[in-house]
Amino acid sequence: MIVSIDWLKDYIDIDIPLEELAEKLTVAGAECTLKQSGIRIPDGVLVAKVLDTRPHPNAEKLSVCKVDTGTGEILNIVCGAPNVIAGRLVPVATVGTKLAPDFELKEVRLRGELSQGMICAEDELGLGNDHSGIMLLPDDYEIGRPFADYYPVYPILDVEVTANRPDLMSHWGLVRMISVITGKPFKKVPFCLEEKEKDIREICKISVEAPEGCPRYSARVVKNVRIQPSPAWLRQRLESVGLRPVNNVVDAANYVLMETGHPLHTFDLDKLAGPEIRVRFAVKGEKFETLDHKERTLSEKVLLICDAKNPVALAGLMGGLASEVDDNTRNILIESAYFTPSVIRRASKDQQLSTDASKRFERGTDPNAGLEYARDRLAALIAELTGGEIAKGVIDVYPEPIPAKRARLNLSKVKSITGIELSGTNCRATLEALGFEILNAGDNFLDVGIPTFRPDVEREIDLVEEVAVNHMDKIPTMERMSISIPESFDTFHPFTDKTRQFFTGYGMHEAINNSLVSEAAASAGIWGYPPLKILNPLSLEMNMLRTDMIQPLLGSLRVNALRKRGDIRLFELANVIERDPASETGAREHYNLGVLCSSSLWGLSWTEAERSADFFYMKGILEHFMDLLGFTVKLRENTQNAAFETLYDIMLRKEVIGKIGQYRGDFFEKLQLQHPLVIMELQLGTLYQWYEPRKQHTPPPAYPSIFRDLSLVMDKTVRANTLINEIMQQGGKYLIDCLLYDMYIDEKKLGEDKKALSFRLEFRSEKETLKDSQIDNVMNKLFKQLENQYGARLR
Amino acid sequence: MNKATISEIRKQFDKTLEEVHDAAALEALKYRYLGRKGKIADLFSRIRDLSSESRKEAGELLNRLKADLSAAIDARTAAFSAPREQRSYIDYSMPGYAMHRGSRHPLTQAVDDMLNIFQRLGFDIAYGPEVETDWFNFESLNFPPDHPARDMQDTFYTEGGGVLRTHTSPVQTRYMSTHEPPLRIVAPGRVFRNEAISARSYCLFHQIEGLYVDEGITFADLKGTIERFCRLYYGKDVKIKFRGSYFPFTEPSAEIDVSCFLCGGKGCPVCKQSGWLEIMGCGMVDPNVLKAVNYDTERFSGYAFGLGIERMLMMRLGINDIRILFENDVEFLKQF
Ligand SMILES: [Zn+2]
Repeated sequence: MIVSIDWLKDYIDIDIPLEELAEKLTVAGAECTLKQSGIRIPDGVLVAKVLDTRPHPNAEKLSVCKVDTGTGEILNIVCGAPNVIAGRLVPVATVGTKLAPDFELKEVRLRGELSQGMICAEDELGLGNDHSGIMLLPDDYEIGRPFADYYPVYPILDVEVTANRPDLMSHWGLVRMISVITGKPFKKVPFCLEEKEKDIREICKISVEAPEGCPRYSARVVKNVRIQPSPAWLRQRLESVGLRPVNNVVDAANYVLMETGHPLHTFDLDKLAGPEIRVRFAVKGEKFETLDHKERTLSEKVLLICDAKNPVALAGLMGGLASEVDDNTRNILIESAYFTPSVIRRASKDQQLSTDASKRFERGTDPNAGLEYARDRLAALIAELTGGEIAKGVIDVYPEPIPAKRARLNLSKVKSITGIELSGTNCRATLEALGFEILNAGDNFLDVGIPTFRPDVEREIDLVEEVAVNHMDKIPTMERMSISIPESFDTFHPFTDKTRQFFTGYGMHEAINNSLVSEAAASAGIWGYPPLKILNPLSLEMNMLRTDMIQPLLGSLRVNALRKRGDIRLFELANVIERDPASETGAREHYNLGVLCSSSLWGLSWTEAERSADFFYMKGILEHFMDLLGFTVKLRENTQNAAFETLYDIMLRKEVIGKIGQYRGDFFEKLQLQHPLVIMELQLGTLYQWYEPRKQHTPPPAYPSIFRDLSLVMDKTVRANTLINEIMQQGGKYLIDCLLYDMYIDEKKLGEDKKALSFRLEFRSEKETLKDSQIDNVMNKLFKQLENQYGARLR
Repeated sequence: MNKATISEIRKQFDKTLEEVHDAAALEALKYRYLGRKGKIADLFSRIRDLSSESRKEAGELLNRLKADLSAAIDARTAAFSAPREQRSYIDYSMPGYAMHRGSRHPLTQAVDDMLNIFQRLGFDIAYGPEVETDWFNFESLNFPPDHPARDMQDTFYTEGGGVLRTHTSPVQTRYMSTHEPPLRIVAPGRVFRNEAISARSYCLFHQIEGLYVDEGITFADLKGTIERFCRLYYGKDVKIKFRGSYFPFTEPSAEIDVSCFLCGGKGCPVCKQSGWLEIMGCGMVDPNVLKAVNYDTERFSGYAFGLGIERMLMMRLGINDIRILFENDVEFLKQF
């Protein structure tokens, strides 16, 4: 929303610096920037007369001119334009003029001839694109006068209007705020309404069949108008606030709109069948062509303005082509109406048409004084501009007048909400300047009448805000705080923090992915959750919510692989979403952790040979993470997913709380990954619920351990896990750990289908230092058992 | 003076020598023991106080002690003055082990930094779902149906009647509907807006919501807390400006600007030459919101605030394209 300072001054004296005004309006809630409208002609460009011109002796296309700039001295200027004519007025940039920030005009010699300035073309002054010749000015321009005088610039305010303040979409709205700031009064511009024609009721008829959509419809008629371009002052005003002048009737309507904020519509009366206006809702499927040359199909949500036969406008949105005012229009019907905000909003959504008028109506316009003033003011202005004659009276369909609201403001409330100490007089002055009426002033309260142009205000708290935002600088800052201590503190964030620390400690980078994914990614989720659909997606690539962590991480993998990043280790904590019709939101959220890795184990280094992280790397991380949380998980092979070389369900308390696996090498062949692709996903939210910080410590061992190595050769089919379990069960009471630390395969030495596994067994007693003899028996027994049961032999 | 004295001195010396790690300290030690006024010289000077038969033995003991200390110091001196390469054949200029270093996402770090401050100011952390009901996301927060305020936030609607929350504010009414005042929370999380993705805007971003409800809370309390937060987060010299604004769920409402942390308020391209950066919205909780959760609006009042993380982080890190925060290029992530 643009307002012109010059225009504002019609209604209020502004005697503070404009920068300060803009700043104070911003603080009071009308965020605005001070700008300039129009084109700034540089200082030093003067209106001058070409006295004489002759060809340049040394250059075919140039001419040498004698120019009078009104200073008494005659300048010599070399000019390259074909249209320079002696006797004409031209703009001349004199020596010293800054035509651009880095271009200052100097006296020069061009091919031997002195040039003391420049005769300007349109584009050189930023006035247009024309460079075919110099500008030739009208003969009534004054020689020697700064050219800028003919191109005035206007200071304007570019205001960001919040959704609750329709009144601020006008000069009047800003004037009321300025009045609070400066203390100067708001003066409305008087106008003279002369009714010369016969009674409007003899000219046309108006009926409202849908009062729920149109509580008030009011009209005036102006006859015998002459459509012409508007006078310069009106064109300039509209241009300064960014509107394009059209003709005197349309411009007048826009002028009153920008003045009061009330949208008006003008019909060509002679194009209305009847002439009659009927207001009704559209019938589903009804067709109508709007001013933007669009044939629209309407629904019953759309409120229509019709004549005796056909629709002539979408109420509050846009007029129609058929009743548009054109150059031949003679008689005008002015519509000044109040439409129900929610009705206009629904129609605007239905037609996907948002116009300046609809934005105002759906925020709420003034149904009373504002509507009447705008109607009469427009009639008067049209009569003045077009020579038309105003018909006597108005037609005003307003069966149930909308009353002004009132509310009581207790002065103690201002203090208890804002902390500001304000006197009753002070509150009163602020409210009155804003257009509120003080109906009754008590010692510690004000009864306030709320003007109908402020639909956003109805309660005491709204009045508190009106006072507060206009005294922002008076709100004190509480330097000491007294706070209530809660009974308990959140433990979830520390838990996620611990998790993040753990994974960054293992060299992982934390990722953040979009929650919105494609249908393909949502259905590929490793949990198999039914995905939740977005009804109004941005694109098909983002029409569902993610059902796992892995699919989005695979997207990040792709980004990195295509950029030839060799080491990719990512983890992410986020919600995955499962469609759940039984939930109030239609969704169930699982807070999960995803890990994805295609990376070397360590950077290229002279200390170690290069190695890839693989399934066992991820498994090691899982084991450590579970160790950190104090959980013991089991892995259960999952053969369902063909994309995986190997995939395991991570089991805890008989529930699947995670997945860990390695993708098949050929699955992402195109990405040319340099390392195996391994992933893990954990239901972190569940782990958090089950997690209990360790309550008791275990004393460090008091006696030393004895270690025994056991290297066994056995069939390849014997699983390591089975053996470890067996050893732990059969190893006697002193065995506390069995670590598998080597695997060896050599068909020649060990035989086909054989493998050698080495275990380190740790024995310890809590009561004594063990002797070798105590362990020897156990080892013998243990070996016999393994020999019998698994055919193992010592290596 | 006897054997015990001498062996005590020896023990002291050995202990001190062990702690000597450079030539200067060694020199000082040598001076303290073997110097002209050192401990040994002092002992020698006291021999004449002894009986004549003890003198000889003491002299021998002292001479041996002096020789031992000299030898020990000489050995150390040699060790310190030997060129490094000769002490071992390992080239310690070789690079260290090449373990991989991990990193937290800069967004999480920023959120955590802010949560840290608020927790110290007595706020607890609360959460809410990302798929919300219309009631919590809009209606309970005083967004009437068919009100243009709803256009302030372009919304994604989900199948089953939910919406993707457009702000973290529904955590306010969610939390209040299960807790009684006094309460004091901050709620971090993802929020969603149905806006075309571009360098300046993404359909997903992060917010932190704050809420304090108790008896006798005023805008002055809000100002005190926010100013403190800004000084702690942006530095103690930051200037803070409150200006009136509109949010349906607060009344009065305000936007908060801080002096640009890049130019210090002089004006630069990031702050569009204004010297100010808009960082958060805030206000006094609207009575309609308190009513929605059945609080006594005569007894309780409160304030709320909300701040976006991405925009602030982009300004701070000089990021021109928001999408870099969500594509997870490891060459970006490893910088943090
Ligand atoms: Zn700046």
